[in-house]
Amino acid sequence: MKQSPREKKLEEMLRSGKLVAGGFMGTDTRHPIEVIEQDVIELENLGVTTHQLVKRMEELTAMAKPRLGSWIDDPSGKLRIKSEDFKGVLVCPWPHPGHYEKRITTVQHRETGKQVVWTDLNIHMIADHGFFEGRGAFFRIEPVEIVELLFEDLT
Amino acid sequence: MIDFLLTVIIVSSISAGLALLLVLCGKYVVNYGPCKITINDDRELDTEGGKSLLAGLVEQKVFIPSACGGRGTCGFCKCKVLDGGGPLLPTETPFLTKEEQEDNMRLSCQVKIREDIKIEIPEELFNVREFQAVCSEIEDLTYDMKRFRFELKEPSEVKFTAGQYMQLFCPKYKGNKEEVYRAYSIASDPKENNYIDLIIRRVPNGICTTWCFDFLKQGDSVKLNGPYGEFRMSDTEAPMVFVAGGSGMAPFVSILSQMRNTDSKRKAKYFYGGNTTKDLCMAEEMKAFEEALEGFEFIPVVANPEEGNGWDGETGLVTEAVQRNYDDLSEHEGYLCGSPGMIDAAVKVFKELGMTEDKVYYDKFA
Repeated sequence: MKQSPREKKLEEMLRSGKLVAGGFMGTDTRHPIEVIEQDVIELENLGVTTHQLVKRMEELTAMAKPRLGSWIDDPSGKLRIKSEDFKGVLVCPWPHPGHYEKRITTVQHRETGKQVVWTDLNIHMIADHGFFEGRGAFFRIEPVEIVELLFEDLT
Repeated sequence: MIDFLLTVIIVSSISAGLALLLVLCGKYVVNYGPCKITINDDRELDTEGGKSLLAGLVEQKVFIPSACGGRGTCGFCKCKVLDGGGPLLPTETPFLTKEEQEDNMRLSCQVKIREDIKIEIPEELFNVREFQAVCSEIEDLTYDMKRFRFELKEPSEVKFTAGQYMQLFCPKYKGNKEEVYRAYSIASDPKENNYIDLIIRRVPNGICTTWCFDFLKQGDSVKLNGPYGEFRMSDTEAPMVFVAGGSGMAPFVSILSQMRNTDSKRKAKYFYGGNTTKDLCMAEEMKAFEEALEGFEFIPVVANPEEGNGWDGETGLVTEAVQRNYDDLSEHEGYLCGSPGMIDAAVKVFKELGMTEDKVYYDKFA
């Protein structure tokens, strides 16, 4: 796949550990553009738009934030959520101003125990860049897993 | 068709050649020569132009806090540039408020020394030193928190005020090719000058905490610089409310040690929050402080006590425990250390209970 100099620079940044330990691409050998395209298509096939997904993630983070890292139940009672924040900021690897609080939200299904974890930076990268991170990255979000958990009615 | 391709190849080659020439010129030909950094209209440092202001200062052993190693991603290395800093760069603006920009604040890692430059930095930064040390003890405090002791080798003594912090250098390690500094509050007694204790909580996928927890061993050499920070106990006699969670314990161990050293009679209640009893730590040490300090009380708070473990202390959020214990905090001072969310929540509660903002002290590090 041919890349523009800008895309090359972005890929270097995503694969480096300059902003987060191990970088954003994990062990994924695909180009970031391919990762983005394939994940967005997968999400669409699951019947969810990035806008819907991001809105749901933001809602759950906002719900858990005031509990300072303690678990709370979502209104349906099917999920439990916690949101922990740490000192420091996470910086978006794309070339634009953007730094996000180091906050980690964990959502767990009460019955199955399945869980998905994201940071505020994940929410931004999905919303603005369609990027779920590469496979093997610490905060990689699998579209199918997050849709199964957050949009149970659709699956 | 061949003409077209040939044109494209020629134009591309010329562009690439010019770009390469620019890069090579920047690296080998452009010579800014010797430059002066004037600090606070008082000190002059000689340096070679072409490097970042941060690098120029570090080279002369003047340390400005910086967590990202000069990549412009942490926003810590702010200083006032009065002359010679060039225009504000887009890489700086996300980290500077409008007021800071108007006040000539810059990120020193982004300012390139091209000519003589005049800057202002807090005088206290001249006391910051770089220390070579050895990790002499590692103690598990909870499942995700450890206390590290660093014996100072060169220089072998440090002077700090309880509440201040150090920056720990995190080297490259397997899986991390980047060198960074991270700030941690000092958790040792200020009268002990030969070592520094740091309490560190593991941050999932954190660059420095992963190194501390998975790679750093007893006997390893480490590098630190400091002390930094304005967070400290005031010199009033106002009763104090301490609120902390997790590794926010650190500065309070130091402050309580200082109170014990000076036989302080000042009243202080310390609310320390955890999600479960497994998040609590240093109960014995806190008990010893209670015995040594007549005005001190330690109140651990557990948000979700495990069923059947017999927890009979305060429950709920640490801020809720503060609300239960006080009706009026207008005469008190508040001291906070912990996650940004906890600090924001505690400041809100303090204000609701009548404490004015000038009496709330904290160090968010970010």
